[in-house]
Amino acid sequence: MKLLIRNATITDPNSSHQGEQLDLLIDQGVITRVGTGISVSDADDSWDLKGALLSPGWLDIGAQTGDPGLEHREDLEHAAEAAMAGGYTGVASFPNTQPCVHSKSEVHYILQRTRDFLVDFYPIGAVSQDCAGKEITEMLDMQAAGAVAFSDGKLPVAHAGLLMRALLYAKAFGGVILNHPHETSIIPGGQMHEGVVSTQLGMKGIPALAESLMVQRDIDILAYSESRLHLHNISTTRAVSLIRQAKKEGLQISCSVPALNLFFTEEDLKGFDSMLKVLPPLRTEEDRDALIAGLQDGTIDLITSNHVPLEVEAKQLEFSYAKFGAVGLGTAYAAARTALAGRLDATQLVEKFSIAPRKLLGLPVPVIAEGETANLTAFDPEMNWTLEKKDIRSRSKNSPFIGRELTGRALAVVRGDQSRILVDW
Amino acid sequence: MATIQQLSTKHLLGIKYLTPEDIQLIFTTADDFKEVINRPVKKVPSLRDITVANLFFENSTRTRISFELAEKRLSADVVNFSASSSSVKKGETLLDTVNNILSMKVDMVVMRHPAPGAHHFLSQHIDANIINAGDGTHEHPTQALLDAFSMREKLGDLAGKKIAIFGDILHSRVALSNIFCLQKLGAEVMVCGPPTLIPKHIQSLGVIVEHNVREALKWCDVANILRIQLERQDLKYFPSLREYSQYFGINRKLLDELDKQIVIMHPGPINRGVEITSDVADSEHSIILQQVENGVAVRMAVLYLLAAGR
Repeated sequence: MKLLIRNATITDPNSSHQGEQLDLLIDQGVITRVGTGISVSDADDSWDLKGALLSPGWLDIGAQTGDPGLEHREDLEHAAEAAMAGGYTGVASFPNTQPCVHSKSEVHYILQRTRDFLVDFYPIGAVSQDCAGKEITEMLDMQAAGAVAFSDGKLPVAHAGLLMRALLYAKAFGGVILNHPHETSIIPGGQMHEGVVSTQLGMKGIPALAESLMVQRDIDILAYSESRLHLHNISTTRAVSLIRQAKKEGLQISCSVPALNLFFTEEDLKGFDSMLKVLPPLRTEEDRDALIAGLQDGTIDLITSNHVPLEVEAKQLEFSYAKFGAVGLGTAYAAARTALAGRLDATQLVEKFSIAPRKLLGLPVPVIAEGETANLTAFDPEMNWTLEKKDIRSRSKNSPFIGRELTGRALAVVRGDQSRILVDW
Repeated sequence: MATIQQLSTKHLLGIKYLTPEDIQLIFTTADDFKEVINRPVKKVPSLRDITVANLFFENSTRTRISFELAEKRLSADVVNFSASSSSVKKGETLLDTVNNILSMKVDMVVMRHPAPGAHHFLSQHIDANIINAGDGTHEHPTQALLDAFSMREKLGDLAGKKIAIFGDILHSRVALSNIFCLQKLGAEVMVCGPPTLIPKHIQSLGVIVEHNVREALKWCDVANILRIQLERQDLKYFPSLREYSQYFGINRKLLDELDKQIVIMHPGPINRGVEITSDVADSEHSIILQQVENGVAVRMAVLYLLAAGR
């Protein structure tokens, strides 16, 4: 299989071709030639990107699937389709399945089921059995089987001692623990950010304090254990400044922000739209600005899809009865690109979507250069489009972006010998 | 009622969605209906051929009776539905329940529901006029309208008047609707209660916060005393009812210390001896029973005006 990609603007800070408009020849899954005016008579396929951008393939950390156990929400095939539609060639999936990914069997299951997919799946193993926050899992065994990191996924590790032991234990293999900071005991049953809008709507709030408390706790535990911690999906000004300070002090800490929280704020909840009921909750304009500043100065390392597929029955409900979460794989880049226009350029976004996630997980970072295995995302940061329900490739359709105009879209993905055109350009 | 005026909205989802003109129109219409219900023949044919469903997914006695009387005095056909006798317990969704009832050709829905925004959600999916009879801790618009209507009866124009709301503001839809309503009418609003029962961001709504009952009483022209919503408190927000009544309850002694007469209101049902003592509830300052009477007139006005917009 030979694929010729013409007129691609290389967007890869690790490539010597960064910023150049070039042609690429991919033969048997390997980039064999990079240059101008490449023409081959025997190419199986040829794409003219017409100057659109080409970067190392994107990777999402923390997408939820429903496979095994909750396939009506998302099986691995649909998760892969959804990821591809958003320009991803890799997904490090969260362990909140049924059963949880808490032993090597589940790790093997995911790897075997996705072996032939274009999208690489990298299972994240649970920190605790059943993600229940009590007994630590067999992390070494899971790591040997292919788990790339450990986390209780959408469930915060509430028990401080468990987090400390997990961080210490992970040092045995240089592993990283991901924790979503959310202290639920402050206000149980909170529905949305506690602020002006929750007050107007009479809705029980989730104060920013619920996040910053656990961020501060986790930083202190990390300093004690001298391990590696990733605070997954932060949403508040205070979290950004605490993590900025922790980085200054030299801790091995990183963090991420969901694309949704860059796009929407609490103001968007005035119409009780249950599609926007997510965790972390949509916060204030000030928080959004702080998150963007955190991305700009490197405090926030990466942007996530925060992909949580849910059946219509769990979302088309009164706001307080609807479950938390939105699908995001297909729209994360577009949402971030739209929200960050003028604040982060295309290369900086590639850092957040492709390079930083792989570095965090210790995965090799693909480079656009001759002799490298092809792992590519082609995208147009200027394309304006409106998401329609049929565009959602996930099995679940719980997206708040339906009918919204977005800027920026993935056009095609290449992974080894497999490639897929996502949209006409 | 010479010219038929209309509300700016198809539903009554909350006071937030009304204009001050809407509120005035409801008041002048309620004035007329109050006169009607004090006649020997209390019934008018305004809602003939209109079917109203009263859907109560939460317990209610007075609001439900008040709505039902209002509907019957307007000659509407009325069906009642309550969660305890319903299919809700069998796991049916709100949307299915309501659509089933609407298939039987119901024109208006009066609903009480424990989830904030439930009416908003419903209004996006069904065609009937929806009246919010209370949605969780969000709004209870007809209560606020009847409260303001009763204050207006007693004090005239509410612009510049000082209204203090006492008690459990955190769990109260009445407080929120009252705040929106009174502000739209130009009144100043204070909330008073223990800090654990005052929402942290309530000042963003432009109200004054006070924790000292004596100071609040000195400030206000009207004291609207809310019920302690024990059933809605999942945690302990104050140590005991005894301490609450001692430090946050309204008693005769506090009123006697004032150098003016203030109006005492309560949306009911009263926890006598907790937030209000009997000698205050039954005193000459109290307009609690007028509130109940006005409730029927105000609800007739709302039903009438929404039906007129159909």
